[in-house]
Amino acid sequence: MSENAGSRNPLQLRDQPETCRTADAEERSAWQRVIGRFADNCRARSLFVLHYCTGCGAIELPPTITSRFDMERVGVSPMVTPRQADILLITGYVALKTLKRVILSYEQMQAPKYVIGFGSCTINGGMYWNSYATIKQLDQYIPTDLFIAGCMPRPEAVQEVFLELMRMIDAGKANAWRDYYRNYDHYLANQQALFGPQWHTPTDIVAEAKHYGLMGPGTTGPHTRLLDQHAEWALDRIPEDYPERGENERSER
Amino acid sequence: MTLSLLAELIVMPLIAFVVGLALVLMMRRVRARIERRIGPPLLQPVYDIVKLYAKRTQVSHGIMHDLAIVMLLGGITTSVCFLPVPGLEGLARQGDLLTLVYLMMVPMLGLALGVGSCANPNGSIGISRALTAMLAYDVPFVFVVIGLAVAYGTTSLPEIIAHQQSGGIATWGAAEMPLLAIAGFIAMHAMLGKEPFEIYVAPAEIATGPMAEMSGKYMGALFVMQSFQLYTIGALYVTMFLGGGENWLTFLMKLFAVVFVSVALTNVYGRYKTDKVIRFMWTWPTGIALAGLALVMMH
Repeated sequence: MSENAGSRNPLQLRDQPETCRTADAEERSAWQRVIGRFADNCRARSLFVLHYCTGCGAIELPPTITSRFDMERVGVSPMVTPRQADILLITGYVALKTLKRVILSYEQMQAPKYVIGFGSCTINGGMYWNSYATIKQLDQYIPTDLFIAGCMPRPEAVQEVFLELMRMIDAGKANAWRDYYRNYDHYLANQQALFGPQWHTPTDIVAEAKHYGLMGPGTTGPHTRLLDQHAEWALDRIPEDYPERGENERSER
Repeated sequence: MTLSLLAELIVMPLIAFVVGLALVLMMRRVRARIERRIGPPLLQPVYDIVKLYAKRTQVSHGIMHDLAIVMLLGGITTSVCFLPVPGLEGLARQGDLLTLVYLMMVPMLGLALGVGSCANPNGSIGISRALTAMLAYDVPFVFVVIGLAVAYGTTSLPEIIAHQQSGGIATWGAAEMPLLAIAGFIAMHAMLGKEPFEIYVAPAEIATGPMAEMSGKYMGALFVMQSFQLYTIGALYVTMFLGGGENWLTFLMKLFAVVFVSVALTNVYGRYKTDKVIRFMWTWPTGIALAGLALVMMH
């Protein structure tokens, strides 16, 4: 019912070995391990969910939250803004237009963050498998920790996947969010394939990856270089390369 | 003397924090029971705070945003030190009720400064509503404070407590000045920012308003503030009207009872509109407080 899907398109990344994150000296010390273990334990027991409910799956969530199944028993509670949330729950099909908002919301969330794809539509397109306006595999665009198969998955399945996610977090295995930083170029490539080379978001993922030490082999690449030409946040730092755009941008402010 | 005072200044916020966490747990459990749910586990408030502080990334919106958190937590921990509890007086003799009323506004002003630098429209709407709510509930609350000052001839909290404890329940503020106690309760309920006065959080409407841009450690600080706030407001009401605490057992019983009533009321109300909140606060609680004040002055 749930599948682990840190898996990227095998054709595209065949030359890059599946890298394990190596811990630095600071992280290896016993004290850090104890703290990390404690933090993981608390993370697993307190999950704020941002329900991205534009698909039909939203209808299964009220029973999950309310008295019949009561998610709060295990520390899972709904939250209203991406800034405060830990889980992005994508219910049902994602249209191209929706995907932009999903990516914006995902990038506003603070790590560690987890994505759950809810229903067949996020796995293979479901009943929209031949639609021109919906995406087929959610994990090509944002890293997904778990999927819930089915159309519709019942609240029991939703509960089960939350418990599975809690087990993964507790064991330190729910690390799909690191993959977004480490292989940002791959995700950005897929996003740009849909939205065109000018696609960019307000969040500078590469700078974040640098700042928090989350850089990986695939963080930068040909597609992130395109960002420098189009993103507003990039214009401030490269006026010498694109003087006329930088000037325009500043005079508008 | 100085050393014991320093020790009290460390112990009092700690106690307030732990009791506040228990109050948060009670708030969530009561809500769950009213909705026929089981509710969160015992340590849920701790998990939430640790989780938020353990976030790997956070977004700061500039120096003012960072300072706001310091101001917010500073204001709320300082006000705890001015609030006498059984066995610990802290700074209660150095300050008085007016100091406390002043200090309790600091967190909200701090929040306003911080949210102002976020550029999130939900945050701006939220903070303007929060300041409007403050304007609404502070009017009756100030009348209540004046009433107490007139009745006891002092604004010193230890003296107010001593007076109330001199004759058992009959000399409690709530027994001697029931009108002021009612108005004070409504004003303090509004201070908690819960329904029906929940205009500035309003998750379904303005996405938690001032908290919309708060992430990670910033949100953790707000969770800490919430537990302090429940404690401070509950304890202040107990001090003003329910005779303070003779010992820790009665103090905690009164504190939890006050917050329980407030939380239970919260769950049966919807949310007023902003103008309705002002209209309500400036008519009913203010009217009741003025009547109470008149009674006290005629006495």
